[in-house]
Amino acid sequence: MLFNSIDFAIFLPIVFVLYWFVANKSLKLQNALLLVSSYFFYSCWDWRFLFLLVFSTLLDFFTGLKMQDALNHSKKKFWFWLSIIVNLGFLGIFKYYNFFAESFAELLGGFGFKVNPWTLSVILPVGISFYTFHGLSYVIDIYKNRIKAERNFVDYAVFVSFFPLLVAGPIERATHLLPQIKKQRHFDYLRAVDGLRQILWGLFKKIVIADNCAEYANHIFNHSADYSGSTLFVGAIFFTFQIYGDFSGYSDIALGTARLFGVELLRNFAYPYFSRDIAEFWRRWHISLSSWFRDYLYIPLGGSKGGTWMKVRNTFIIFIVSGFWHGANWTFIIWGALNAIYFLPLLLTNNNRNNMEIVAQGKLMPTLKEFMQMAITFALTVFAWIFFRAESLSHAIQIISQIFSSSIFSLPHYTDIKKSVAVIVLVIAFLLVEWKGREQQYAIAYIGHKWPRITRWAFYALIVFAIGLFMPSVESPFIYFQF
Amino acid sequence: MKKFLNTLLIFTLSSAVFYVVMILFFGRFVHPVFKPSINYWKGSYGHLHSRVADINNYKNVDVLFLGSSHAYRGFDTRIFEEAGIRSFNLGSSSQTPTQTKILLDRYLKTLNPKLIIYEVYPNTFTADGVESSLDLIANDKNDLNSLKMAFKVNNVKTYNTLIYGYWNDLLGIDNSYKEPIEKGDDKYIPGGFVERKITYYSPKKYEKTKIAITDYQLKTFNEIVSMIKNNHIDLILVYAPIPKANYSSYINTSYFDSLMQSYGKYYNFNEMVDLNDSLDFYDSHHLNQNGVKIFDHKLIEVLKHNKK
Repeated sequence: MLFNSIDFAIFLPIVFVLYWFVANKSLKLQNALLLVSSYFFYSCWDWRFLFLLVFSTLLDFFTGLKMQDALNHSKKKFWFWLSIIVNLGFLGIFKYYNFFAESFAELLGGFGFKVNPWTLSVILPVGISFYTFHGLSYVIDIYKNRIKAERNFVDYAVFVSFFPLLVAGPIERATHLLPQIKKQRHFDYLRAVDGLRQILWGLFKKIVIADNCAEYANHIFNHSADYSGSTLFVGAIFFTFQIYGDFSGYSDIALGTARLFGVELLRNFAYPYFSRDIAEFWRRWHISLSSWFRDYLYIPLGGSKGGTWMKVRNTFIIFIVSGFWHGANWTFIIWGALNAIYFLPLLLTNNNRNNMEIVAQGKLMPTLKEFMQMAITFALTVFAWIFFRAESLSHAIQIISQIFSSSIFSLPHYTDIKKSVAVIVLVIAFLLVEWKGREQQYAIAYIGHKWPRITRWAFYALIVFAIGLFMPSVESPFIYFQF
Repeated sequence: MKKFLNTLLIFTLSSAVFYVVMILFFGRFVHPVFKPSINYWKGSYGHLHSRVADINNYKNVDVLFLGSSHAYRGFDTRIFEEAGIRSFNLGSSSQTPTQTKILLDRYLKTLNPKLIIYEVYPNTFTADGVESSLDLIANDKNDLNSLKMAFKVNNVKTYNTLIYGYWNDLLGIDNSYKEPIEKGDDKYIPGGFVERKITYYSPKKYEKTKIAITDYQLKTFNEIVSMIKNNHIDLILVYAPIPKANYSSYINTSYFDSLMQSYGKYYNFNEMVDLNDSLDFYDSHHLNQNGVKIFDHKLIEVLKHNKK
């Protein structure tokens, strides 16, 4: 069940009405309803994977309790490692086994040994990377005595599987979400309206920006051998907006949906393409994952406290692991490593926390310096996305070598180039709205809040119209569902 | 909560009105590039506009042809007239069973045929029906059946174009439109056939493909067959010839043949006439006039044989 589907448009109001009209008297009932709805939502993809989700939830719930009740540290450690190994084991089998088997076979092949790797023909369970990380953060926090184990299974299960965040995040923390699940929630008019507004903006990003950019990005990347460097560069730009519109659009819908149920989720995006350096970009892109890796990997490894070598090592580890988290492909690993290379000079010169505030805060336009910084950061990001989007390393290299050839000076030319003018106009309009709203949680949060209601509603209705007008004929899934 | 639901209801209604009005504005005044999901094209490929206007001249025909472009470019009503068969060709571009059903609902009584020859091409059973629905919306009247069709096709392009179609009909925007008899290489022949200036085809290689029939198209097809039988009209299903290179790309034609045979008389002309991919076709799907003559004479032969 996709957020941008008719099914979800039916599912959401039904759950909303039951939640606030039938289950509103009892918190237990509300949470039970959320759990049943979330499991139904998940089973719409493939009901068989529901068992995996339930098993993972039970595992972390019980190991959490066992750690809490452990009489000595060694027992606590045992339960901790059991949870970590089983969680990562499942992730490894479903997501990474084939990659390791094939890479090992290729390595042996390099030494002259011909090996046919034994691979598994399994489908990647949707959302496994996300709910596994929910569970991991929970058990790590208990092990580190940051939180106490949850004793109510339903509450814990809602924390893991709350449907707005189940399949593509944001990756929540028990410290943030569990207290909200355990607290009586009351309907708040302004919050619900805000939730709907954020859903609307998320749908616009996904359907109008991402899906329309995808048409050209997919075509150009899939026929990269036929195109000039300039066309491939345009393709990379299309993909840059596709992935942003797709994932941040998903996150907006997730946050808005959760708000309808009185729950605040972690913010996942904060206008990353207006970043002045890569460090700022990573504070603004997929924030819940970046902060997860920072808290549960980078800091335990020593963070940036040690010497230069340790800083370099830890930076590479966190970026490469982050890349690998996205998928079992060398392209993601190189994408991660490339970002580490971008990031290191800033870290080593202590310039990684230069741009902490919002760019051109309170101003209409950025300074020329800020503009140049944003343009350079954007260009570096576009370059890195080529690895992220390419089918393989050789595909990425073929695209890059074409971009850095003399054909970059030719005029871009691809199928339906005239039709793409509308998409380019939409992307520019989208950037202007995002720029205008960059100091808010999401771009249209406060746009028009001082306008008369009729004007403000006309603005929202225009967004609805744009969605209907530019909606592609076929629903396309969110990119991050595959991770 | 009450305030929230009231506000939501008022916003939904007012934005729906805004949406419908904007469809009219964009449909009428905006460049096609900026309205990708409004595809209202009066006088599009296939001369459906002329064909529909021609129906009143063909009451009580002997044979009614239905189907996709293979039908309106394959069954030359003049050839059948020469053989003493009065016919009308109600084919339309990419016509899937969903659109066939609507056309029959609208025009079966008027045309009142003794026999229906329904051209069945596998792709029309696997298609989503969007292209054909757009053709129908722009070139035929829009009524409640059009809305039913839109729900069946369930595609944003169809919905938006239909809204514009209703506006167009209501305001009589294109009422004065007259479709030219000749458009490019195509010429409309009274009776529904479209003749293409003779050209030849250079065959290419096709990827192997499997016919995977869509449930809702098959369900509608069943309804059509029942409707025809209930009206006591004879039905013949015909798989019109396509280039051999294209035909042999389907890996489960025998499945399609047996499915069609289960409905009654069915003829797969790809197995019955020997045509040359280059000389008898003008593209990967359509017969040129040489091929049309061979095909139609063979069909007339079959009809005569059936009559005996």
